[in-house]
Amino acid sequence: MPQDYFDYTGKLFDAARINEKPEALENIKVLDLTRVIFGPMVGKWLAIFGAEVIKVEQPEEGDDWRTGTYWGKYWKDSCPYFQSLNPNKYFIAIDLKKERGKELVKELAKQADVVIENFRAGLIEAWGLGYTAISKINPRIIYISCSGYGQYGPLRYFPSYDLIAQSMSGVARLTGYSEDNTYKLPDYFGDFFPAILGAVGVLSALYHRNKTGKGQYIDMTQTEALMRAMPHWTVQSADGDPPGPSGNFDPTMSPSGIFKTRDERFVAVAVATAEQFKALCKAMGSDELATVPEFAETKDRLKKVNADVLNKRVEEWIENHDELEIIAAARQHGFAASPVMDDWRLVSDRWRKERGSVIDFEDPMYGRGTWAGPAAALSETPGRIKQLTRPIGYHNRLILKERLGLTEKKIQLLEKEGVIGYWDNRVGKRPPSYIDIAKDSLFNFKREEEE
Amino acid sequence: MEKKEQVFSKHMTGKKTRDHLDSFNNLLKQMMAPDAAKKGPLDGLNVIELGSANFPGLICGAMLGEMGAHVIKIEPQGGDPAREATYSGIYLNGAGIPFVMESRNKCLVTADIEEAAGLEKIISLASKSDIVIDAMQPGYLDFHGAGYRSMCELNPGLIYAALSPYGHFTSKAKEARNIPDTDLTAQAESGYPALTGSPEAPEPYNFPLRAGIWTAAYTSAAVAVAGILTALLFRIKTGRGQMVDVATYDALSTWQPFSLVWGFTNEEPRKRIGNFDWCLFPYGYYKAKDGYVTVAASSDSDFRGLLKILGRWDLEDDWRFLFDRIADDPEKLNELEREIKKEIAKFTRKELFDKTFAYGAKAARDKLRSKGFPMVVETRTPQEAAADKHWEIRRSFVDIEAQGAGIITLPALPPRMSETPTRINRLMTALGADNDYIWKDRK
Repeated sequence: MPQDYFDYTGKLFDAARINEKPEALENIKVLDLTRVIFGPMVGKWLAIFGAEVIKVEQPEEGDDWRTGTYWGKYWKDSCPYFQSLNPNKYFIAIDLKKERGKELVKELAKQADVVIENFRAGLIEAWGLGYTAISKINPRIIYISCSGYGQYGPLRYFPSYDLIAQSMSGVARLTGYSEDNTYKLPDYFGDFFPAILGAVGVLSALYHRNKTGKGQYIDMTQTEALMRAMPHWTVQSADGDPPGPSGNFDPTMSPSGIFKTRDERFVAVAVATAEQFKALCKAMGSDELATVPEFAETKDRLKKVNADVLNKRVEEWIENHDELEIIAAARQHGFAASPVMDDWRLVSDRWRKERGSVIDFEDPMYGRGTWAGPAAALSETPGRIKQLTRPIGYHNRLILKERLGLTEKKIQLLEKEGVIGYWDNRVGKRPPSYIDIAKDSLFNFKREEEE
Repeated sequence: MEKKEQVFSKHMTGKKTRDHLDSFNNLLKQMMAPDAAKKGPLDGLNVIELGSANFPGLICGAMLGEMGAHVIKIEPQGGDPAREATYSGIYLNGAGIPFVMESRNKCLVTADIEEAAGLEKIISLASKSDIVIDAMQPGYLDFHGAGYRSMCELNPGLIYAALSPYGHFTSKAKEARNIPDTDLTAQAESGYPALTGSPEAPEPYNFPLRAGIWTAAYTSAAVAVAGILTALLFRIKTGRGQMVDVATYDALSTWQPFSLVWGFTNEEPRKRIGNFDWCLFPYGYYKAKDGYVTVAASSDSDFRGLLKILGRWDLEDDWRFLFDRIADDPEKLNELEREIKKEIAKFTRKELFDKTFAYGAKAARDKLRSKGFPMVVETRTPQEAAADKHWEIRRSFVDIEAQGAGIITLPALPPRMSETPTRINRLMTALGADNDYIWKDRK
């Protein structure tokens, strides 16, 4: 008897062994000049899989997300959302508008494999820290600029946010029940999805550089990323009607929708194939439905008039059963049904904890918290959280001494001139109140010879 | 001489800077121009893709192909049932639109894993490949002797990427392996519809609402690609492959983690709040005289600017700070929302755009930047979006002859890469279209 497959994979991905395993990107150095969501998330992927990511912020101001938070709620004087965007990074604060500050950034860029930036297009070029400047001093650099519409083309200077990108791509008009009542994709999909494609760009450029020794410039945009996920223009070119807002009905799946259960929960059901439809009919105790000519084949089931009939049937079935009964039937028969999860159910979900998608993590500065783990599980080089974020400029001494060899005296001079700096005292930027920063050895980092 | 472009920062003014930016723009146009001599970043990598009605797997293969990998999609004699899903009743050579969209650059071949000859072909291809995409039911390939546990013996450098609803490990993965993947159920399991919709609408319009595009399927696919590339970089150093496992039912909630953060810090779920945002206001869609606009003016200075433009400075005192404008009380929010709605409705889309951008351009050059930059843009339909000349210059859409089915438009894969451009160079849709070419040397 061979070993059961899931016992085998359970060992392969054993959470208890994650910290013994190597990190895939251990030798990669990243200079992260980003803020808000889009740019930081590119660096997050790299940091989770072992790259050394040095995040540079403007003294006192710092990343906007440090102070922006849902309903104005903070966690231990920090923004928990900011924590979730920037784990495993080093935090230094350099004034990019000062000549000496620019020089420091260039020194760091000389040592880096990757630079990430998401200022408004053209701004970092104007500051003299753009691709043209950095590639001169480090020809092997992989430099990614993240913006709304890209670094070239007539829209390039046009500002963007997630929601503006949703509007410029046409996504804005697709979620809801009618053209007259559409909703945005929530929680900044217009930042997160482009960010993962940005990470893909950086990783593939690193692969190419390994083969050829050549670095390159990457121009990553929010709007084009959203467009890549839209079928509308393809449908149109094949003489079809592009889908508009259709509520909870996915026009490629019939039946499909979100339905209310007897126990007042919501369940999503979607049927993609004839085989899945047979399974659903069996589960509903309506085998005969699968043989009705209008429903047997997917192409007929997708016709709106037939889909409406089937959705009605599913609705009636679901309102007479509890959530758990529907999910059990789906497993037993093999069609797709899921509970509509919510924030609280997600974070307390046993499966996600077992999988490592949700991690309970103990941080030396912030204590215990529950955070998102890596979005992909890698058997040999699993991603991991090693620490949460730190206040603005927290790693100044560590990085400037260790990476650039600056002396304590030099650092104090830079502090005096305002070239480097720290947090101002606003909530979200400062260390938690229970931390005595004067006694913090990392913040006051001394090299051995200084001891 | 081009007309002087509008810039929105004082750092981007001055002749020297402007000249530099113009030359950078021209340099980029050259760097990103089509160049047959340039290959994709993954040129030379061999991928085989196996999947059954699994769109994240299809998209993952398509993205690798766009980056220059050689991707062979293997279907059973009856075809991958993913072909059945389509929009508007359209099939091209038996392939629905999603299948067509995500067949870019692939070779399509048939082989039945359940027959000895087919299995042998598949194992022989996989043993020579760099990457296998397993988008079948978890355990299915393993059962036939073509899973990771046998393939990694034959091919120690193999990167084996699995995409399935609940992944290939954990007790739930085993119990629920029978559940197929769809974007809608993946969105639901990721807690995404719970964030959208209006609770005060009549039933069923007050239900949690699906996102109108495949947010879960595309995120899962991109996460799988990032996982594969991460494994590839490790293989360069060590020669060792590995297994990459993506659960399509949690990739969205894990990659886009604010739901988890909210759950952890509040120990309760968010309630749906219609077109409001939980941390920004104004940040949503509004009705102007002649259609919809999108307003993003949430920082305190942006908001002040918006009030000036709308001539409603009287609102400033009560709503000065962002924390006045976001609250867990929709009733309170609606007070301000009603006023903003009323003002927006007085103007056309173009009037609002012109006013806000003239204001923003001027404010951006201001020394203190405290005047803000409220943004109001047209809420475009996909058709209006694609008509912008900008995308033509960037070649964001590609028209390609789909084998025997006419010219098809595809949105290209960003990012733009100066040395290794992503590309779309072929589009096959018919079942087994490349059988002769791929299997010719294999009995």
